Amino acid sequence: MPGGRRCPDCDSTELVEDSHYSQSQLVCSDCGCVITEGVLTTTFADEGHLREVTYSQSTGENEQVSRSQQRGLRRVRDLCRVLQLPSTFEDTAVAYYQQAYRHSGIRAARLQKKEVLVGCCVLITCRQHNWPLTMGTICTLIYADLDVFSGTYMQIVKLLGLDVPSLCLADLVKTYCSSFRLFQASPSVPAKYVEDKEKMLSRTLQLVELANETWLVTGRHPLPVITAATFLAWQSLQPSGRLTCSLARFCKLANVDLPYPATSRLQELLAVLLQMAEQLAWLQILKLNKRSVVKHIGDLLQHRHTLVRKAFRDGTAEMEACEREVQGQRQGEEEVGDSSLDLPVRKRPASPALLLPPCMLKPPKQLRPTPPVCTVTGDENISDSEIEQYLRTPEEVRDFQRAQAAGQAAKSLPNP
Amino acid sequence: MDQNNSLPPYAQGLASPQGAMTPGIPIFSPMMPYGTGLTPQPIQSTNSLSILEEQRQQQQQQQQQQQQQQQQQQQQQQQQQQQAAAAAAQQSASQQAPPGAAGQTPQLFHSQTLTTAPLPGTTPLYPSPMTPMTPITPATPASESSGIVPQLQNIVSTVNLGCKLDLKTIALRARNAEYNPKRFAAVIMRIREPRTTALIFSSGKMVCTGAKSEEQSRLAARKYARVVQKLGFPAKFLDFKIQNMVGSCDVKFPIRLEGLVLTHQQFSSYEPELFPGLIYRMIKPRIVLLIFVSGKVVLTGAKVRAEIYEAFENIYPILKGFRKTT
Repeated sequence: MPGGRRCPDCDSTELVEDSHYSQSQLVCSDCGCVITEGVLTTTFADEGHLREVTYSQSTGENEQVSRSQQRGLRRVRDLCRVLQLPSTFEDTAVAYYQQAYRHSGIRAARLQKKEVLVGCCVLITCRQHNWPLTMGTICTLIYADLDVFSGTYMQIVKLLGLDVPSLCLADLVKTYCSSFRLFQASPSVPAKYVEDKEKMLSRTLQLVELANETWLVTGRHPLPVITAATFLAWQSLQPSGRLTCSLARFCKLANVDLPYPATSRLQELLAVLLQMAEQLAWLQILKLNKRSVVKHIGDLLQHRHTLVRKAFRDGTAEMEACEREVQGQRQGEEEVGDSSLDLPVRKRPASPALLLPPCMLKPPKQLRPTPPVCTVTGDENISDSEIEQYLRTPEEVRDFQRAQAAGQAAKSLPNP
Repeated sequence: MDQNNSLPPYAQGLASPQGAMTPGIPIFSPMMPYGTGLTPQPIQSTNSLSILEEQRQQQQQQQQQQQQQQQQQQQQQQQQQQQAAAAAAQQSASQQAPPGAAGQTPQLFHSQTLTTAPLPGTTPLYPSPMTPMTPITPATPASESSGIVPQLQNIVSTVNLGCKLDLKTIALRARNAEYNPKRFAAVIMRIREPRTTALIFSSGKMVCTGAKSEEQSRLAARKYARVVQKLGFPAKFLDFKIQNMVGSCDVKFPIRLEGLVLTHQQFSSYEPELFPGLIYRMIKPRIVLLIFVSGKVVLTGAKVRAEIYEAFENIYPILKGFRKTT
């Protein structure tokens, strides 16, 4: 009770703070007399002191899950179910989507981006659990372009500060190979093309590992390499009947899309195998080419570690040995005996090829000759004549304007 | 093939006598600190501890003997870490350098990347990361430089001409200008010497790109300002600032990008499905490097030339660590 106040009518001390709708009033509880009233309207100055309630607070939109977010979360769950992922993946992907949605940049993004974000969250979840899912698959499922997908993916990884491991090659090989429809005879697959799944898988794995070791995988999309390796594995398991089948036909039979780079990966892999074949005595005399080497892939893979070591000169080791010699000469005075601890430069015959990525083996591009380095201070005098060359003469300006006007007139004429 | 212990025998033998000074035998050999390919090299975090480390290193460079002892100890530490389990190694190395502050990685998934072998039943083709998260800074002497100097390829600068411009007049009266307001709201002007391109906006601001050095960029910007002046506008030359510098170089050996992304995952992003190069975001200096399998490196994001050189000197030892394939 407010101290000391009495009702002017009945002199009682029972005064209550009561509000009539939004107007606060001090009322006597005995006789009902209104002693004081609050202000109904506020002045501009008063409002300046009040804390204003923002729209988002009054509608509570930040506490609730918005309709588009609900839709996105439903899409995430649907995508996980379509891909037949374990249920724990679903929860992780949903959590990532919600986490992303808390950022204002994502909340205000276009619907297309939010749709792509669904795919990104599922992909990140799969990568973190080493589930082999390619970006191509996700893009096909959410009907998105790879460019849009890549932009959103890089943005969300940076925004959430996530650590996304690389695609696991072995698991991808197993999943991708299992999708080839060659393990049972069917109307489209003749009996001689049917192959045992385990044998094909193990040989494909060995070929992919060989490709990885010989620099054919680094920096490239993994799927075309696996397609080429699967094709070679399949051919080599029964070369007599299958050498006539081309890569394109093989993919059509197996009901798998042929990725465009797969043909060049195939050629690169065959070149590596030919190099290895030259180290085997009983194959040297056969004078193999890219078709006949397929028959001997089994032997080559059996001894692949030794053959790769013998067939390819380690280009980096040679460069390093040369560099160490140079450095040894430079540091000769400081550290005595440096040269004595150098590894002996490997004496290899010139014939083995260098083990380098294909981009380093190609002849170097003809670079534009670098212009002569002239010392420029940035504060030189700029001659008037040099600037005049960039300005039109008055006659040129007139001609140009006339030509522009004629062009406009021609455009505005109706077509005959 | 023993991948995890790829130090040559002579280096291992040298490391065993603890603290012993054996004159005449070179303790420091270019290969030793990087022989394993496991030691993440000096990526200094912005933590004050690493600044102290830098100062300590500089002092050591003046005293060779202390430096050699340091390296011997580090050698042993590296070897001990190789033999210890991955988790233990992370903790033991924490006294050298704090874990990168930049890694807001969900710890849940760290172990996955550490234990993932590339293919089953085969020896890993690149060393498995034992100490990926803690950059150990070896005391490299000043003479151990790469000898390669990145070349500047592009400089982007901005300048304020200080007056409103009429782009239609400029496009009409200049020979080297193109203006298509429906496509872009600026005049694109080009000059031949230095070979550059400028975007001139109606507010009077200008962006100059294509120069190969800071001085050339400044000279080119002044030439554009002079052209605008001669067209009748009261153009000035205010607040010239270099916004971005791009450099490139070639280390001349192939790089195992998959290995690099495993050991430096908090800085690297390698998505072969999207882009053939590895994107390395260095924290100090704040530079982005594009590293390709052929050994070519593109450095961008610098405001001064020294940042590009410093970034390359930081990355070169790391790249050398990924040279060995067998």
